Amino acid sequence: MSTVLLECHDLVKVFPGVRALDGVGLRLTSGTVHALLGENGAGKSTLIKVLTGVHSPDGGGLTWCGEPVHLRSPLEATRTGIGVVHQERNLIPGFSVAENITLQKPPSHRGLVDREAMTAPALACLAELGVDLDPHQPVRELSVAQQQLVETAKALYTESRVLLLDEPTASLSPQETERLFEVIRRLAARGACVVFVSHKLEEVFAVCDTVTVLRDGKSVLEAAPLADHTHDDIVGLMVGRAHAATEMRPRTVDRTATPTLVLDKVSTAGGHRDISLEVRPGEIVGLYGLVGAGRSELVKAVLGLDRITGGEVRVHGRPARISSPRQALHKFGIGYVTENRKEEGVFLEQPIVRNITVTVWKRLARALGFVSAREERDVAQDHVERLGIRVAGLGQNAGELSGGNQQKVSLAKWLAADTRLLVIDEPTVGVDVRTKHAFHELIWDLARDGLPILLISSDLAEMVTLADRIVVMTDHHVRGEVDNDRDYDRMSGRVIRLIHDRADSSADSADAKAVSG
Amino acid sequence: MNRFNVKRIPASWDGAALRRFSRSTAAMLLCVVVAGYLALGVASSGSFFEGPSVRVFLQYLATPILIGLAQMVALCVGQLNLAVGALGGFTACLMGVLMADHGVPAGLAVIVGLLTATAIGLVTGLVIVATQINGFIVTLATMTILLGAQYRLTGTRTVDGYSPTLRDLGTAAPLNIPLVFVTALAAAALLAAFMYRTVAGRRLLAAGGNPLAARLSGISTDRQIVAAHTLSGLLIGVAAVTATASLPGVNRSVGGDWLLPSFAAPIIGGVALTGGSIAVFGTVLAAFVTRLIDAARAQFSLDPSWVNLLIGLVVLGTVAGGRLHQTRLGKTGGTAAPPAEGGKQPPAVLPQPGGAR
Amino acid sequence: MTTSISPPDTVPEEKAAGHRMPFWVNQRLGLLVLVVALSVLFGVLRPAFLDQRLVLFPLLRDVATLTVVALAQMVALSVGHMNLAVGRMAAFGAMFAGLGYDRLGLPMPAGLLLCLAAGAAIGAVTGWLIARTGVSSFVVTLAMDFALLGLVSLLYSALTEDAAFTTRPSGIDELRSYSLADICAGPVCGSPAVPQIAQFTVLAMVGLGFLYGCTRIGRELLLTGANPAAAELSGIPTGRRVLLAHTLSGLLAALAGFMAAAGTGTFRASIGNDFMLPSFLGAVLGGTLLTGGVVSVLGTLLGTALVGVIRKGLDLLGVGLESLNIYLGCVLLLALSADRIRTVVSYRKVVRET
Repeated sequence: MSTVLLECHDLVKVFPGVRALDGVGLRLTSGTVHALLGENGAGKSTLIKVLTGVHSPDGGGLTWCGEPVHLRSPLEATRTGIGVVHQERNLIPGFSVAENITLQKPPSHRGLVDREAMTAPALACLAELGVDLDPHQPVRELSVAQQQLVETAKALYTESRVLLLDEPTASLSPQETERLFEVIRRLAARGACVVFVSHKLEEVFAVCDTVTVLRDGKSVLEAAPLADHTHDDIVGLMVGRAHAATEMRPRTVDRTATPTLVLDKVSTAGGHRDISLEVRPGEIVGLYGLVGAGRSELVKAVLGLDRITGGEVRVHGRPARISSPRQALHKFGIGYVTENRKEEGVFLEQPIVRNITVTVWKRLARALGFVSAREERDVAQDHVERLGIRVAGLGQNAGELSGGNQQKVSLAKWLAADTRLLVIDEPTVGVDVRTKHAFHELIWDLARDGLPILLISSDLAEMVTLADRIVVMTDHHVRGEVDNDRDYDRMSGRVIRLIHDRADSSADSADAKAVSG
Repeated sequence: MNRFNVKRIPASWDGAALRRFSRSTAAMLLCVVVAGYLALGVASSGSFFEGPSVRVFLQYLATPILIGLAQMVALCVGQLNLAVGALGGFTACLMGVLMADHGVPAGLAVIVGLLTATAIGLVTGLVIVATQINGFIVTLATMTILLGAQYRLTGTRTVDGYSPTLRDLGTAAPLNIPLVFVTALAAAALLAAFMYRTVAGRRLLAAGGNPLAARLSGISTDRQIVAAHTLSGLLIGVAAVTATASLPGVNRSVGGDWLLPSFAAPIIGGVALTGGSIAVFGTVLAAFVTRLIDAARAQFSLDPSWVNLLIGLVVLGTVAGGRLHQTRLGKTGGTAAPPAEGGKQPPAVLPQPGGAR
Repeated sequence: MTTSISPPDTVPEEKAAGHRMPFWVNQRLGLLVLVVALSVLFGVLRPAFLDQRLVLFPLLRDVATLTVVALAQMVALSVGHMNLAVGRMAAFGAMFAGLGYDRLGLPMPAGLLLCLAAGAAIGAVTGWLIARTGVSSFVVTLAMDFALLGLVSLLYSALTEDAAFTTRPSGIDELRSYSLADICAGPVCGSPAVPQIAQFTVLAMVGLGFLYGCTRIGRELLLTGANPAAAELSGIPTGRRVLLAHTLSGLLAALAGFMAAAGTGTFRASIGNDFMLPSFLGAVLGGTLLTGGVVSVLGTLLGTALVGVIRKGLDLLGVGLESLNIYLGCVLLLALSADRIRTVVSYRKVVRET
């Protein structure tokens, strides 16, 4: 018999400048695998944080098995029976695998940690996931995929009745993913409810029974059986029909032009081997891969932040040795819109005007390095208008803007600098649907004006919408390249095949790693 | 070392531990301590190995060990404690004044001192958590306040008319090993046991290693910050007791020169300033090293300023050398190790040093 | 040196530090009002407080010196670093000036230049170490502090008889005791309360004001402090900016050391012993953030002035020297707590409006 474990209604959570949750309902029933879907910025992460006691809601309430509950801390949520695997890696680097797995409820005896008693349950959790790891190894020595598995094992250990998995497959190979699905089904069969959050609809349809869809902080579909809906229905609900179809203006690429950027069998100290790709004027080249595939690291190596150990980089037809992002900008005109907007993209506590003009001060500076505040404002104002950034004033701090507008600010500084090659890394993570669309049009139009663009994304739909060619990268190697014919199903099939080809060989090497570790 | 790799089951815990130790800072420090001690002995044509010299050496080692540990506890949750010297000096003066001027028995005065130091640590932690002001500034403020309080207690005089019992205990050395040194070692052992074995100690380390993860696992980082400052206060209290017992008298200069040694010991001992790591053994050994420098200075009757200069240079050399070593490992390791590790390196390195390359 | 406390989330909007705040939360205005109000209060309670020559002149001379010290700290804070060795860099610079006067018989300006060059050089070494190794500035400057403490004392005892250079070049006594009253335009003379040595402070403030307010380098320093990773990726040579900040910090510290030495008349190792606390007090009370990216030159002056006024006023009221530190520590905590409350209030307000 299935019972309703956790239910919430009319949840509201407000952050300055944004209503992250604006009336969300959710009903989690025992014995089911529940999909929680929504575009980036729809409020999934916030909902998970409310359900696990990280945030307290500003409105609405939760009930647990019919009784109202207030989750004031993650600990209370755990005690109630709600476990979670967060998107960010949440392990203590210096602790052993076993200690991380048992962190929430360390086996102890009168306040003393019992290390022996820790090993057995940790090994049991790892075995359930089919992972072979030394429980005494410190987690800082593990690979990204291994860490993600430890993270999942951690959630298994608490034996939660509701288990939330936030993008648990982002860095897993297909085999590892399949094993995880088996575990999920087993947990559900035992009467738990597993909430599965993923961008990959194929996976959702493979493992889930019921579904809740969020859009703009509201639940547009609540605890409905997944079997009643098709792939397209769900996408329509997530995106909102109004935005589903906009036509881009036609754009053509001159395939005979000299490539602006050429990587010729480039290897890096970060582990990339024989990477070759080229980007021509007016072309959008997509660099597709999962988290941890080494895409951003490749770009950073090209910008001089990591050592290039082999091969050649050519910019504007000439061999280039770039030693720093500063040189990349001033000498070669390369701009890099980073994926970590908050950490590397914008200066949150600095005014917008400085955020935009940081790249052009060198140009504006006169004698003694004097920069005229008026010229500075003019430059910033131009780009605020051009990109349609919604601001209260140029003196406003960038941290007060919404995610999408911050992302535009992060892009604006490169446009202000008149870059001749733009690398855009995950441009639409964490921005709402409308902004995402505006972004796509903007990137498209920049390319139409002749700007070469290298687009990094793990959102295949975005790739299919924008890119002319898609270069597939896994595990620091380029696996192949496909010409985009703008048909999502056909393209995803081809891209996934390229990734799968690699999977077999890497599974072997993963085993080898475990042995040597 | 390869012997341990061959085994199919890598749970050969002792092997791994031994391997890690042989590479560790502690092993290197141990060599430095032994070599330094021997060199000093030879240079003093053996007099350094004799009973009285050894006793004096160990006698004045207690305080550096204890204040180093006190600082280490604060560092392990990512905090720092500038008030180490001021709190120690204040507590020492408090105990001295209680015993000398108010006739409080030694045992009671020591208990009051320990409790006061612990309480002040607790309050410091609470203020940091409640106001969310940077711990640096808060401990700077408590340092100022305590310096004032210490001066107010003793003025310019030296309080020395206190309990002979405590004095005797302070200079007592059964088997030629001073009691205060044994106290410091006992404190270190207890602290190590607390950090490695107890749930509370693991929570401290977890909160320092990854505050967000700790919070999501139900560990209150606020509570850990308070706990770390409280524990730091207690250790300073113990340091103050050993200082009071072994010094000829207490005055307002007690604790004035504790700040650098308190940082030097954990930093040389291999504790990261970013939190999440501790090295009790390393800290104790590093205190040995700094004491060796002091002893060498006395041996060759050099200007006391040499000690400051040398300790400053040793700290600089340690941190700079350690960091350079690390980056080199990261760069060469990136080619051999699984790519994910190499890939993770740049963002981890980038923010702190200001991306300086 | 971050505390590990931060809002429990990664949502950027939480960092909404108010930029358009009502006037009553303007820190600098608040400081100015406080300084004036306290001066009036002390003046009423103890009329001697307003004695221009005996009280205000030495008070302002101290404030002038300590402002430069606080500016040296502010420059380091602007890139998100700290300089715990301000005092010792001051002693190091002053030692070179003293050496120049005593051994080389340099005229006063030449000695000052030597002092500034020495300070800048030691600052540059510190900055280079930090930028090159990436070790936290706290550790490097702390170790530098002690290395210099040892070095300076050793050099003084090696070079001098009684651990001080006492040769005074011509002009330095005037610098110490002359005020604006000694500058007359016809019958109108300046105030005897304002010491002439404050000219260095004014010069430093104008220079830094121009640097941070109007120039490219100043902006780049601030952005390096605000977010080093983003600054590096935006094409700012963060390593060079860190080096520059510490060089400037060393230079200003040396200037302060010279001013302190000129004020007492001898060049000795103990100069700068008590600089560290005032340097943080002045800068932080003035609104400079420890996390980097925000500085206030004027605020630094006002913060230092506030501390100076409180110190002098309490002294005149008969509060013993020993208790002064207790009050100053409390003032620091209260001022920053008030700041924290303002931030929380403004955050709540923004949330409510959403």
